[in-house]
Amino acid sequence: MMTLKKAGRLLVALFLAQAWHPVAAQSKQTVYGYVRDAANGEGMVGASVRLKSQPTGVTTNPYGYFSLTLPPLADTLIISFIGFQSQSLSVAALKPEQAVQIRLVAVARQMNEVTVQANGTPQNIRSLEMGTVRLDLKTLKTLPTLLGEVDLVRSLQLLPGVTSVGEGATGFNVRGGRVDQNLILLDEAPVYNSSHLMGFFSVVNSDAVKDATLIKGGVPAQYGGRLSSVLDVRMKEGNTERFQAAGGVGTLSSRLAIEGPLGKGNSNQQNTSRGSFLVAGRRSYSDLIIGLSGDEQLRRNSIYFYDLSAKVNYRIGAKDRIYGSLYSSKDVFRVDFQGKKVDMEWMNQTGTLRWNHLFSRRLFANLTGVYSAYTYQLGIPQEAQGDISLDLPKGIRGADWTSGIRTYNLKTDFTFYADYHNTLTFGGSFLRYRFDPGALSPTGNDSPVEGITLPAKHSREYALYVDNEQTAGARWAFRYGLRLSGYDYLGPQRVYDYVAVEKGAKRPANEQTFGSGTVIRSFYNLEPRFSLRYIINDESSIKLSYNRMAQYIHLISNTTAASPLDNWTPSTNNIQPELADQFSAGYFRTLNQKRWDVSAEVYYKRVQNVIDYRNGAETRLNPDLEADLLYGRGRSYGLETYVRKAGGRLTGWLSYTLSRTEQQIDGISNNTWYAANHDRRHVGSAVSTYALSKRWSVSATFTYSTGIATTAPNARYEADGGTIVVPINTDNVRNNFRLPAYHRLDLSATWRGWSKPDRRWRSEWVFGLYNVYARRNPFSIYFEQNDGLNTQQTNAVRLAILGSILPSVTYNFHF
Amino acid sequence: MPGLLLVGLGLAGCEDIISVEVPDGATYLVVDGWISDQPGPCTVRLSTTAPYFSNQATPRVQGAEVMITDNDGTRDVLKETEPGLYQSATVRGRIGGTYTLSVTVAGQTYTAQTQINRVPTIDSLGVVYREETDDHDAGYYLTYFGRELPGRGDQYRIKVFRNDTLLNNPELDLFFFNDDFLDGKYLNGLELSPGPFRSGDRARVEIHAITADTYGYLVELQRQMRNDGLFANPTENVSTNITAVSRDARPATGWFGGSAVQSKTIYIH
Repeated sequence: MMTLKKAGRLLVALFLAQAWHPVAAQSKQTVYGYVRDAANGEGMVGASVRLKSQPTGVTTNPYGYFSLTLPPLADTLIISFIGFQSQSLSVAALKPEQAVQIRLVAVARQMNEVTVQANGTPQNIRSLEMGTVRLDLKTLKTLPTLLGEVDLVRSLQLLPGVTSVGEGATGFNVRGGRVDQNLILLDEAPVYNSSHLMGFFSVVNSDAVKDATLIKGGVPAQYGGRLSSVLDVRMKEGNTERFQAAGGVGTLSSRLAIEGPLGKGNSNQQNTSRGSFLVAGRRSYSDLIIGLSGDEQLRRNSIYFYDLSAKVNYRIGAKDRIYGSLYSSKDVFRVDFQGKKVDMEWMNQTGTLRWNHLFSRRLFANLTGVYSAYTYQLGIPQEAQGDISLDLPKGIRGADWTSGIRTYNLKTDFTFYADYHNTLTFGGSFLRYRFDPGALSPTGNDSPVEGITLPAKHSREYALYVDNEQTAGARWAFRYGLRLSGYDYLGPQRVYDYVAVEKGAKRPANEQTFGSGTVIRSFYNLEPRFSLRYIINDESSIKLSYNRMAQYIHLISNTTAASPLDNWTPSTNNIQPELADQFSAGYFRTLNQKRWDVSAEVYYKRVQNVIDYRNGAETRLNPDLEADLLYGRGRSYGLETYVRKAGGRLTGWLSYTLSRTEQQIDGISNNTWYAANHDRRHVGSAVSTYALSKRWSVSATFTYSTGIATTAPNARYEADGGTIVVPINTDNVRNNFRLPAYHRLDLSATWRGWSKPDRRWRSEWVFGLYNVYARRNPFSIYFEQNDGLNTQQTNAVRLAILGSILPSVTYNFHF
Repeated sequence: MPGLLLVGLGLAGCEDIISVEVPDGATYLVVDGWISDQPGPCTVRLSTTAPYFSNQATPRVQGAEVMITDNDGTRDVLKETEPGLYQSATVRGRIGGTYTLSVTVAGQTYTAQTQINRVPTIDSLGVVYREETDDHDAGYYLTYFGRELPGRGDQYRIKVFRNDTLLNNPELDLFFFNDDFLDGKYLNGLELSPGPFRSGDRARVEIHAITADTYGYLVELQRQMRNDGLFANPTENVSTNITAVSRDARPATGWFGGSAVQSKTIYIH
């Protein structure tokens, strides 16, 4: 195998020789163009374009673009995508100087399954991707949901290797990673809090999503900044053919999305319009329902969320297209305290501007500018009494507390289709962060609080990457790449070293002041990425991958489930970046004439500089937060198996994961390895949809997982004059106890409305039952003295967030 | 918070008591000692840990030698007045003093140290009527009026007594704060959560100036008392300031804290 250095040199040589000498480069015939969905003109991501005589070729990029330099004697091109009818194109019939516009037609439901799968070796066998899942949003819409909300992040948890710490917990855990180790990209903008309603739902409105891909392993060099996974969500671009609207009325929220063409196309392009737009929104109405409630106390509370997505794209000439997208989400949570409300709001805002440019038919470039912010605000009235609901430093009343993270990102990505066997991607990224750890300002006249703003923290993160995807012969393919990431912690800032005093406590020392823009501390990391695929035969392949990831920003959260009030913090002179190395291997095959996809993957991941917290750490409004952090190591390993059936009346999948996630942190659990809180040994799910008739289909999902690990006391003692019973674990171990297993069955039925051929109106009703056998799945166990007052009787109490069956009805339409 | 959220969604969360099988832990010595600048004896309770679900009072530790020494070298040997309850005769806390507790049990000695910090005076107390909320019953609640002492680094615990009984529901009534965000400010009706009071009750409020370490101890203690809900902290052992002189001594836990106290009484009518 080539060393990376050699590979790098080769790449540079290839690039110089071919990209900037267009005459030489284009002496061979190059086919290039776009693959689009015939129904709406959207560019298709990841469609396969290859020669009939070859097992592999190229796949379309996120904009639907491809370029393929043909070897001599090329005859026929095959363009395919799962769920769409493949197309053949005679090379002889192509006009050499013109972009090809390919439109794939979706296969109608219940078609003969052979046509669903492309001819030849199926994509999951051929592709280099492993640990990667492309979510099929059409399928998701028919599956049972919680309160009728089609939810990307909840659905992810039906896939192998993805879990969460419990019902309603913010975020998700991938292969033992923490929730802050997932890079969630919404049109390339990082999303810093992915949850609505404290964590019950994700912020992505599925109506506006074109493509969502989760990468758990074998991460391409293009992505970086988080250790565990990439969830790359691309919003729909909007129908280029005609005006269209879609929406739904559900139990919890209503949605509406409108899209349509912009501008007139010119006749020699098959595109009928120069651009398109999309606007999609969603709002929950739990507050409105509460408003109708007979309970006056309840009526004073107000809880709702909304999100809004907008996107526009426009073609300028034959070589350029610009895209603009905006996303905004907000959650409002008002809890009544005697007519004065604790008022909590949190919001995500992102904006993305992109410019696609074709330098040559083989060099595709994209320039992206991103703004992304997550901010929250908590208003605490003077009258707020016990602060049981607000884990805040004591005595704060009559104050507004705000905090947030704001980032600007500029990046450029190039795809260079070097020849039939090599596709090179390279580019760079520059990110500027501003962290506002917290500001407190008094409200009202009687507030005792003085305004305090913890100083903002600044940093920047930058990266250069190059990745080559190479096929060699009919069986082998490689992707090898390198990402060089760098990071600077910047002034203005007053920094300290934290020196240990007794009992693990640390105190600030060696104060130093840095001016604006001065580099306080830098980190650099080389992140090699490697993937290999070997095709055994038409029906099976094996794949290997290795990747190193570096993470420079960290979500500070010492609760079991992350909360919307958690803060992101940069790496500093005291906080090191986290590093992960992941090795994985997989076996992929199809069975029964390609009706079934089967895969098994194993992974091993080790993590350096894992962050944990000292007992009693104050994570909010704490200027000396760094004194409360502990650092250590993590490791996780597992086996993920997956069987999927596509096509036919019965579709769905089975997945089973056996895994382990552990940490070793000095100062916790006697410095030994212990199970991470989100460690779940066995996780399985079964998802199936059965088409009863043209109108009716039914779905069922079942999930099972080992309970999370938690710490249980083995003794108790009396404190505070004998009035308070305190739990203690005299072995001083962490996570010594397992919650009972989690399992749940959900059902749904979809009825598609009558449609007349001459009318565009289509509608469907989705009826769902969540938690069909009403299991009280434990979210946590806590230990308390009985009735709060009896010090002799103590209990373990199981908290189940949902203890009953939850029905839902959703009406969806589009026209 | 989770309760309200679930109600907001029209859902019903539920809690039930389950049995948890954990092997019984080791037996630690438990020290619970407090010294204040108030007249009257200061009290140290000695006991041991017991299995979490034993459903019996934890064993008292009798016959120990308990001593408090202040920074002037004054020494007071505490007398065991009840099983496991040791009381001082002469020592009395004073603002600015440092106090060392020494406990000798079965030949092993344990020590702990604390200080007594300055305390502000309470100007007055007020009363407000509050409707029932998720956490609190309807009734009268107290409000606090008084200036916080200028200069950072003060921490306070407030104890509320209803007809001379300390309100100490561990989940609701532990009330403490520091001056990080209100240094030198006038607390103009800070509402106190222990309650409620009814007409005819006598209410006494004590403000205890406590050390930063004791404040941290209370933060940890309260976290363990509020480990329910969506955003619970993991169960963790609460810190202790009791140290064994010898390494091979039986481990000890608990707290020795000192405070200066100001108080005020109000009749509810």
